[in-house]
Amino acid sequence: MTELAQNLIDALALGSLYALIALGVTLVYSVMDMMNFAHGEFIMLSAYALYVLAGVPFGVALGGALATGVLIAVAAELVAFRPVRKADMSAQLVTSLAVATILQNVVMAAVDARPKSVATPSVVSETTQVGALSISNLEFITLGMTAIVLGGFGWLLYRTRAGLAMRAAAENFDMARLLGVRADPVIALSFAISGALAAVVGVLLVMQTGQVSPTMGLTPVLIGFVAVTIGGFGRMLGAVIGGLLLGAASSLLGSYLPADLLPFRDAIVFSLPVAILVFKPQGLLGAATGEARV
Amino acid sequence: MLELRGTRVAYRGVEVVHGVDLGIAPGEVVGMVGPNGAGKSSVLRAICGLLRPSAGEVLFEGRALNGMAPERIARLGLALVPEGRQVFRTLTVAENLRLGAWDAERGEAAIEPVLERFPILRERAGEHADRLSGGEQQQLAIARALLSRPRLLILDEPSLGLAPKTIDTIYELLAELREEGTTMLLVEQNAVRTIDFCDRCLVLGSGRVRAEGKREELRGDNDVVRAYLGGAVERQTSDGGMGR
Amino acid sequence: MSAVRLRSRSSLAVSALAPLVLIALTMAIGASGTPSLRGTVITILCEMIVVLGLQVFVGNSGVYSFGQLGFASAGAYAAALLTLPAAFVALQTPGLPDLIEDAQLGALGSTAVVAVACGVLAAIVGLPLMRTSTLAIPISTFAFLIVAYNVIANWDRVTGGSGGLVSIPRTTGIVSAGLWAAGAVAVALAYKWSTGGYRLQATREDEVAARSLGIGVTGERLVAFALSGMLCGVGGALAVHQSGVLAPTTFYFVASVTTLTMMVAGGARSVFGAVLGTIAVASVNEALRGVEGGADVLGLFSIGNTPGLAAIGVGLILLATMVALPDGLTGGREAGELPWLGRLLGRTPVGDLAAPRFVAPMGTQKQAAATRAPAERAGALNARGIAVSFGGLRVLRGVDLTLRPGEALGLIGPNGAGKTTLVNVLSGFLAPDAGTVELDGVDVGGRSPARLARDGLTRTFQGALPFPQLSCLESVAVGAMGVGARRGKAVAVAAEVLARLGLSERSSHPAGSLPPAEQRLLGVARTLATNPRYLLLDEPAAGLNEAEGEELVAILRGVLEGFGCGILLIEHEMSVVMSLCPQVQVLDDGVTLRVGAPAEIQADPAVIEAYLGSSYMEVANA
Repeated sequence: MTELAQNLIDALALGSLYALIALGVTLVYSVMDMMNFAHGEFIMLSAYALYVLAGVPFGVALGGALATGVLIAVAAELVAFRPVRKADMSAQLVTSLAVATILQNVVMAAVDARPKSVATPSVVSETTQVGALSISNLEFITLGMTAIVLGGFGWLLYRTRAGLAMRAAAENFDMARLLGVRADPVIALSFAISGALAAVVGVLLVMQTGQVSPTMGLTPVLIGFVAVTIGGFGRMLGAVIGGLLLGAASSLLGSYLPADLLPFRDAIVFSLPVAILVFKPQGLLGAATGEARV
Repeated sequence: MLELRGTRVAYRGVEVVHGVDLGIAPGEVVGMVGPNGAGKSSVLRAICGLLRPSAGEVLFEGRALNGMAPERIARLGLALVPEGRQVFRTLTVAENLRLGAWDAERGEAAIEPVLERFPILRERAGEHADRLSGGEQQQLAIARALLSRPRLLILDEPSLGLAPKTIDTIYELLAELREEGTTMLLVEQNAVRTIDFCDRCLVLGSGRVRAEGKREELRGDNDVVRAYLGGAVERQTSDGGMGR
Repeated sequence: MSAVRLRSRSSLAVSALAPLVLIALTMAIGASGTPSLRGTVITILCEMIVVLGLQVFVGNSGVYSFGQLGFASAGAYAAALLTLPAAFVALQTPGLPDLIEDAQLGALGSTAVVAVACGVLAAIVGLPLMRTSTLAIPISTFAFLIVAYNVIANWDRVTGGSGGLVSIPRTTGIVSAGLWAAGAVAVALAYKWSTGGYRLQATREDEVAARSLGIGVTGERLVAFALSGMLCGVGGALAVHQSGVLAPTTFYFVASVTTLTMMVAGGARSVFGAVLGTIAVASVNEALRGVEGGADVLGLFSIGNTPGLAAIGVGLILLATMVALPDGLTGGREAGELPWLGRLLGRTPVGDLAAPRFVAPMGTQKQAAATRAPAERAGALNARGIAVSFGGLRVLRGVDLTLRPGEALGLIGPNGAGKTTLVNVLSGFLAPDAGTVELDGVDVGGRSPARLARDGLTRTFQGALPFPQLSCLESVAVGAMGVGARRGKAVAVAAEVLARLGLSERSSHPAGSLPPAEQRLLGVARTLATNPRYLLLDEPAAGLNEAEGEELVAILRGVLEGFGCGILLIEHEMSVVMSLCPQVQVLDDGVTLRVGAPAEIQADPAVIEAYLGSSYMEVANA
């Protein structure tokens, strides 16, 4: 019984992490119709901020990671994505692939191709007893951060002026512009928030593995893409659900797969979405209404 | 206030408006009618900045609008109530209204007085906009446009898809607005009502202005009928159409 | 009368030879250089085969796949295991079945086996992947890449795990690499110019229109995907027989980006582009790689040790191409179609059009009698009681419609009356909530647009541009291919249709370069190539001026007599409808208001009221 509960909590924690990744990807998609492959590098660079700021009080380092994520996202939009704003989704995806390659290799050249270890506060790797369960503090932090982020995200979207502009733009950008909503700031803001989400994920990943590497963003961004696709393009809730499902599946497989199949966990997890898509091509919740342009 | 000179508009590579001249003075209510495909919506899109005219000028109070971003044009004082209403269905009525008051001087304080006029919207303020009926959505779209206290209100087929009684309500509302001196450009497919309602009307056909005039001049004018239904019966020849 | 060809002989020759010449040049450079240069050239040729594999799928379908390197990896592993001596195999990969462990094929044999195996693997993998939506394919192929990597990296007993394989026989030389590359070029060109290739390109240009012409999108994509997998597998096999070592990361992310860049930089739609792009990008890649360890640049400045410099360069090339030159160096054209090459050969460039003319066909009726029997006059398209609702909105409330071959019926009505919805129901794009559609007495409810096209019912679309990147002749020929014609017959049919419509002069021009009036006509031509009994035309006269409208009417009359099909004409241009159609059906608010001759319709008070508003005539007569 306790083992089941333990596994479920693990599943929830991993699912939360994946949901955060998916949310970052879907935010940009819903406003700009673009799947941003460079999101993985936003995660990676924020993590490297922790590496670079080693020795500095951890709180400051966290701030640095956050700032890095936001700045790199906004800069990427300004320099690389704005010129291809009118192109179709595939072209934008390939452009983001180019940006990702460049960023990844710049880090490789500037730092090292090999992973580097990063010290995190020891409390992170300890566990806490809750009744009969032994839950790692990292999982607490992950679940807590996710709750805070989702809450903050929801507050931003539904209680602020900026959030209203983003939701309107996500539904019907042309109509929003006709009412005076400015296109550039809305897009910049979505990238900024997406970058902040990436930073949170980057920090959590560092806490989990204790190291950074230039290729650490590849798997997360693919997870994000797949989660968004199975949840339904453009739907924030769909992305969260997709992320939770993928994370839960991955974690539960990790707990229950026989040992000789364990190394193939990723293969199984990434095959699941295809099965879903064959039966529900628009994803579980269906694509967002994608309101006709004015 | 608004002036179009020789405006040509292309949509997806095809020119659909072949040189339209239009002028609206402050306080005037001008109508634009004509059959589908006549180019009416394209003219409106060009005015509001969603399409760029391929030739000719669009001037608002002397300022050229060609190529300006839609949000800047909106801030100059043009408000569009688009075809099909285009309310934000995933947002509530109140949120739709907040968007309407986006750049308004008094901000959201401007909403309350406007709601006086639309009691049904006040009632359903917390509901999502997709729960509203067609007529209510139309009211929401108009309220949303009014919130910015526009200098020019443009309406694209406000009666589309509405029941006759609802259309009456909408037009009563428009009449009130006219009393208050709101300058309006009204585009409709239903010609009679529009010709009746507006100070002046243009009849568009195949991307060109076919007729123009005040209500007395246009009513019962066969040219108007011809613009809609052709009238080229006499042009059918009996030799299979090869001769001319 | 000379047979009509899709492209001139000289253009064909240039297009086929140019990539081969480039390959030969590359081989020559490699053969005459240092061993290091030789090795580089062989690598480039192997990469070229993979890029050609990419081009076959991505270029023709317009859909990106990020998983093709998975097949290259599979092919490489298979080739390695088939050529490693048994002892080595037993050592590195104990889990293999004896059959493979003992097999030791030669270079040629192993590559041939790999080709077949990877083709089959790609067909199997592609089966579910191609059934996902167009937007989801790029992402699901990415997932496939990860799955392939994960399986290969972890299946230690079969693949040697993350350590990979070593001591693989190094058998690939410049000649073998060059010959396989030439073969890949031949396969890519042959496919691109085959009926299957054309049908796939049609889906790239306009997926919806392609479906309406009878093309099965999933099936065509699957064929290209399998072919692509085959070529990528061959590329992987040859590469591994050059380097002698193999690891799961050899054909993974970095290689995916590099080969993608090569294809995009050259021009995704072009086989010549794939070859050119590979050479161009590989040259830059090699140059930068040489500098990665630090170097003096022309004595001007020095670069320190920068690993990954080559990859940054490749990324920048990709970025620059997407932003500034999305169609690549070749603009997506084959060598024989490039304007500057044509000028070099003294031909007038295809891109420069004389002042657009709208030519009415001459002697249409006589030609019709001589070459083609009109369709059977019996039978009809019969729709009864069609009802459609969207949400709570009743768009069609019980509409009947009858169309007979050889007759023209106009369908008019105010905005929102339901005309386009009705056509969507008739052409299979929308299932009605109630009502039946019969084609020559057979109930065709539920049939797909592609099936209906083969049954003899085709439609055009409002404002659609007919396959802009294909030539006019090709665009129209695709229509015939969609309903099953072989290429020779399709081209002949297309030529005839173009002649009838007065567009013969435009045969080799890209469809997208035509003025709008002629593009509209080309859309009609394309549907005529499907040999329809019933043709639904959606606003063909939109945006035409009066003179052009009259020409259109003349041509459509010729079509009625020459092809004998029935035409349903949805139009707002009343002059066109009233002069062409002896019968006109008026739709208003989801029901049929009136069916009658034009003169009656134009004078009918109810019709006038529907368009103009209530009591227009009363007011008029007041």
